[in-house]
Amino acid sequence: MTGPPILDVRGLTKVYRRGWLSPQETFRLEAEFTIADPGVVGVLGPNGSGKTTLFELITGSNRPSAGQVLCCGQDVHRVKYRERDRLAIHYHQSYQVRRFAKRLPSACLQRARSDFPMVHLFDEPQFSTQDGYIGFMLDFFRALRARGRLVILCVHPNEAFQVRILREICEGYIFVKDGRLRRAPSFEALLEDPAAVAYLGALAKA
Amino acid sequence: MSLFTAEHLHKRFGDQVVLEDVSLAFESGAVSGIMGPNGAGKSTCFNVLTGLHRPDRGRVTFDGEDITGLAPDEIARRGVSRSFQIMTLFDEFTALENILVALPEVRRGLGRPFWQPRADAEAIEEAREVLAQVGLEGRAGTPAAALPYGERRALEIAVALAARPRIVFLDEPTQGLGTEGRARLSALIRELRHRYTLVIIEHDMGFLFGLADRISVIHWGQVIAEGTPGALRAKDRVRAAGPGRTP
Repeated sequence: MTGPPILDVRGLTKVYRRGWLSPQETFRLEAEFTIADPGVVGVLGPNGSGKTTLFELITGSNRPSAGQVLCCGQDVHRVKYRERDRLAIHYHQSYQVRRFAKRLPSACLQRARSDFPMVHLFDEPQFSTQDGYIGFMLDFFRALRARGRLVILCVHPNEAFQVRILREICEGYIFVKDGRLRRAPSFEALLEDPAAVAYLGALAKA
Repeated sequence: MSLFTAEHLHKRFGDQVVLEDVSLAFESGAVSGIMGPNGAGKSTCFNVLTGLHRPDRGRVTFDGEDITGLAPDEIARRGVSRSFQIMTLFDEFTALENILVALPEVRRGLGRPFWQPRADAEAIEEAREVLAQVGLEGRAGTPAAALPYGERRALEIAVALAARPRIVFLDEPTQGLGTEGRARLSALIRELRHRYTLVIIEHDMGFLFGLADRISVIHWGQVIAEGTPGALRAKDRVRAAGPGRTP
């Protein structure tokens, strides 16, 4: 594929501090990765590891302490707030979230160069075996991919079927732990990481 | 041309986007289904279609006319009727009285307190006919509160029909019904489909698959799939193959 990568995360850092006079660092997320082509990528990691923070930084709803998020070559954090959803959309459970960390007035920011979102981030989509909607959801992810979009799925698997869904649909993985990211091109590669195996536990064999 | 259409509807509440670029078309004489997981935006979609909420963007048309942003009663007067997911019957009224107050000429009869509908023989005759359409002719004199649950749901549908609608929207009609109630409701809808254009919201796929001519699947505020039950069933591999296995 020619042109800039769909998602290019450069030196992205988010630091949370507590305290006023002598602030203590409570959490630090660091990310650096590039995804050039359309695809479906799974994000896994324990609660509190920084998955949702990462999503917020990619959609522009949270402001990075340092670094850039480039979506098709355009820095998400320099785009007008109401147009940021033309670069990346954050889906939480069954609805979409639009919330932005506003600092500069919109007039100082750029127009989005895309008319529709290129990156779709699904935060804990509700996969239920009871109602039969999983098939439609997976087809929707595939349809987005076929239209040249990047789909990022954040799942916190509790059951074997959720791991099977990931293995069926994902072409790559990002494992997040303690604010650090590790990429794996396949589920097998993911399992070479002892931390990922420890996180998945019995589900590693699913 | 479709009897009822929605074009590029957008709706958000605060920072939640509940409808994004939703387009739908309901054909005259057909049963259309809208299904999706809980909380996916189905009821909001109905509320926007029937005027309870105004869309932020987009257009709703009925019979070729733009009805976007009209008040719900104005939309209802044009022949768009709906039931609600939560029951909205007058409990202390009899089944017949519930229908009577919903008849257009009784509603128009102003100057009387609404709890004393002075219904003439003609209106009573029509109300009985509406009750008969949902199989409640034997329950005319029973207070709504005393009806079994399944019959209350049928009475709700009858109230929607009393307005002599050209299109009827039913919001989760199977809510709270057991297997037998569902089967009866399904038979009732099969009867009604010859007389009315119907749009049904359902969470339960099986129910719609057996009834609808076309189904739209809504999730994340978008139409994520659309087609005939046959075409959708082919996609709904999960039930047949089990999750995670490709057929």
